[in-house]
Amino acid sequence: MNKKKIVLAEDNSTLSLLLKFRLEKEGYELLMAQDGREALEVIEKETPDLILTDIMMPFVSGLEVISHIRLKLDLDTPIIVFSSAGQEEMVIKAFNLGANDFMGKPFSPNELIIRVKRLLS
Amino acid sequence: MDTSTVKIILQILHYLFFGYAFAAITSYIILSIISGKETIEYLKKNSFVNYKDILSSTMSPSITIIAPAYNESLNVVENVRSLLSNHYVNYNVIIINDGSSDNSLEKLIEAYDLEKIDFIINEKIKTQPLRTGVFKSKNPAFEKLMVVDKKNGGKADALNMGLNISKSKYVACIDVDCLLLEDALQKMIKPFLEVTNAKVIAAGGVIRIANSCIIRGGKLIDVNLPKKLLVQSQILEYLRAFLLGRMAWSRLNGLLVISGAFGIFDKETAIAVGGYDTQTVGEDMEIVVRMRRYMEEKNEKYRVSYIPDPLCWTEAPDNYKIFVSQRNRWTRGTIETLKKHRKIGFNRNYGSFGMLSYPYWFIFERLAPIIEAVGIVYFVILIILKEVRWEYALSFLLLAYIFSVLFSIIALYSEELTYHQYKKKGTGYKLVLLTALEPFVLHPFILYAAIKGNYDYYFNKKKKWGVMQRKGLTSV
Amino acid sequence: MATYQYLIDYFNESPLLIKLAWGVSSALSVAIVILTLYLKLIRATLRKRDAESAKFRKDYEATLIEYLYSGSENGTINDLQLTIIEKLKASVPIKSKRKIIISILYNLMNEVSGEMSDSIQTLYYKTGLYDYALARLKNKNWYIIAKGIGELTRFKIEEAHDLVEPFIMHPRHEVRKETQLYMVNMFRFKGLTFLDDLKAPLSEWAQVQLLETLQKFDDQQICDIKPWLKSKNETVVLFALKLAKIYNQFEVKDTLIELLSHPIKEVRVSVIEALTSLYGIEAKEMLKANFNELSLEEQISFFGLLEKLVVPSDEPFIEKHLFHKNFEIQLLALKILKSINLDKFMGLSKSPKSKGSKRIIKFVNNI
Repeated sequence: MNKKKIVLAEDNSTLSLLLKFRLEKEGYELLMAQDGREALEVIEKETPDLILTDIMMPFVSGLEVISHIRLKLDLDTPIIVFSSAGQEEMVIKAFNLGANDFMGKPFSPNELIIRVKRLLS
Repeated sequence: MDTSTVKIILQILHYLFFGYAFAAITSYIILSIISGKETIEYLKKNSFVNYKDILSSTMSPSITIIAPAYNESLNVVENVRSLLSNHYVNYNVIIINDGSSDNSLEKLIEAYDLEKIDFIINEKIKTQPLRTGVFKSKNPAFEKLMVVDKKNGGKADALNMGLNISKSKYVACIDVDCLLLEDALQKMIKPFLEVTNAKVIAAGGVIRIANSCIIRGGKLIDVNLPKKLLVQSQILEYLRAFLLGRMAWSRLNGLLVISGAFGIFDKETAIAVGGYDTQTVGEDMEIVVRMRRYMEEKNEKYRVSYIPDPLCWTEAPDNYKIFVSQRNRWTRGTIETLKKHRKIGFNRNYGSFGMLSYPYWFIFERLAPIIEAVGIVYFVILIILKEVRWEYALSFLLLAYIFSVLFSIIALYSEELTYHQYKKKGTGYKLVLLTALEPFVLHPFILYAAIKGNYDYYFNKKKKWGVMQRKGLTSV
Repeated sequence: MATYQYLIDYFNESPLLIKLAWGVSSALSVAIVILTLYLKLIRATLRKRDAESAKFRKDYEATLIEYLYSGSENGTINDLQLTIIEKLKASVPIKSKRKIIISILYNLMNEVSGEMSDSIQTLYYKTGLYDYALARLKNKNWYIIAKGIGELTRFKIEEAHDLVEPFIMHPRHEVRKETQLYMVNMFRFKGLTFLDDLKAPLSEWAQVQLLETLQKFDDQQICDIKPWLKSKNETVVLFALKLAKIYNQFEVKDTLIELLSHPIKEVRVSVIEALTSLYGIEAKEMLKANFNELSLEEQISFFGLLEKLVVPSDEPFIEKHLFHKNFEIQLLALKILKSINLDKFMGLSKSPKSKGSKRIIKFVNNI
């Protein structure tokens, strides 16, 4: 069976490395992006099975990534957004734009795995 | 006139020139020492600051970025994108399309899904009216953006429209073609929030030169030293002006200029003084002087702050024609501002603003080119009269030259020890070489432009704005 | 040789001023040469350091992740983890490496929760980073102390409390602010006791950071904020007003109403805003009665309050101010009228009084 592809858009390099290790151990293929623009490029090219994106990213924000996926690309790939404290409003907007789930930072990688599995099952 | 009177006059002129040069050099030395102190203090203060909380907090004060655009259709979509990607939560962006005759507006509507909205403007400052109206995006991802299409009225008028519309406590006035780094707003807002013993009315930032830098999707990817000597020389000039000059004046709370390319203002004060002056070509200097004057007259403690971090990058002129017209405009702006506010000069009621900043600006910025030009004419006359004592002339010319080189090198040190933006191997050598060449490459043209500016101001009143051809940030 | 001699003689015979000029020129030239060489050295060092840091960072990021994932469920440290700790420990005494390690740890500390952030904390202790932070507190430079406190805050080191606490009275506001943040990060609302007798102003910058810190916690059990509302320090009052608003402190409403006569305008305006979000209808009649004595800012805020808390009986008051000379008040008054009495609002455009306000009435009509 083919590995499921996950795009991870996150500008904190240590965190994305940490998550990459964990998700790869679970048998997923990870595609990394450091900002929103890179994320969009990867998504258009690879059509992943799941997208993990931070809300606050350089250049193209997570919100814009979601709106691009849902409105422009017209994909219904599941999306999980990461947010920090104080970004509640943005989370609501993210849901309105079509995000499927969110994880408030700080979060536990194990918790993320559970949600990823749930969305991909 | 007999020869002895001529001799005495010449002697007096000698001393005057000598005294002026000596005073200028002394002021440079003092300013660099002060700037050194201030830089160290600034770095210490910011070595432990955690900006993260401020940027993500909805409790932080609101800021509106006001960016006037006139016929910028080439890059406007990309530039707006970069303005929208700032890492501050509580901000919005107002693009003022100042009667552009190109398709800027159509491009923005298309790219950001804009629709016209009902809007009423409280015209606290009189401006040119709206043209097609006010636009906002249908897409919540661009919720921060507002585009205002108005009749042409010039940059100052466009900024005033933005001041009328903004609902924020602070406004960031910028050139739309500037590249703002993501942390620009949080760093610039800090002094407004931190100073408790005075009201911060404005904060200015450093302008860095973006020519030859690699910019992709509104992000600064790589800093390069441009190939052209003219642009390189301007980099050196900016380093001197921003890292040494303005840093020192900020310590003395004596800043008179905030670069029009990027500055943050307390909106209430900016509106209270009547906004930008539409009658001058130097509106960025004029408003700061007027705001300071207002605060002095109200007898309220205030500050004009300055942030030395490289946060704003812009394209500098890369040919002599545009360069000269830009400097010509700056000269006229300075003359107009100083003239309009000459009441302040040497006026005790205005404290150090009247007794130090204004006179310094008048004597060493306003008059410098004139005195230099007179000096050159005088020197030529001496040559004709065969009155030149070459051993003096040469030794002091050499001294002045060496001093200017040394001063530039100090500016380079300041850069290397703080922000170290030109990291690449081999650049250091070029920069040092530049300190030696710059007095020949740039200075004569600055002098020429300044004299021309003076001439245009007094004898050529109809002179219009110098047009700066924009090459745009996306072209590399 | 002869020319050389000639130059020497020439120099010796020159007037003093020329000698001086040449002397200074040569001295400055020497300085330029030395500075240029030194600049080269600095640049080379910086470049080397950048490259090394990048490599080091990559290496240690991987190491750290290995450490975090090899942890066992029960929190005990296994052999692999011990080797990693030893490896990091060896680098900690080197300042530049220490900085990188701290920044990597910190990068994660904020983003991950639970057992993972606990094991980052364990690593922080075991590698000796903790001792370096404590040493900073003893430094004589204020900014080093501030950095030390900031670090202890980030890694949530509660046991440093007794050592950090005295800095709450430090003469530099930067150090005080870091200390305040430490207290609030560790002890939430209990950490705010420093407000009780704070004499120095609490800057807006500090206030935002404190509020932000408080909002990070799930435990939103706030303490009594009344004493702070009554503080003589106006910045403390302003801060307490923000707390009242964010944490819906209905029980302080009476105190807020008393504060409407506070001597400082900014405070009074904030009080009206706080009352707006706390549903402070009790303040309405009092503000209406004094309306003409209020400053313009207070008047605007009051109309903001009415916009949210209006009842039909407010109509006569609103009507009185429909053509207020201030744009914002007029706009709010018209909006409010439209919401409570649409017929009267529709009738306005026919009234001769509204002549100067056509534009604004039309706008309100359209929304």
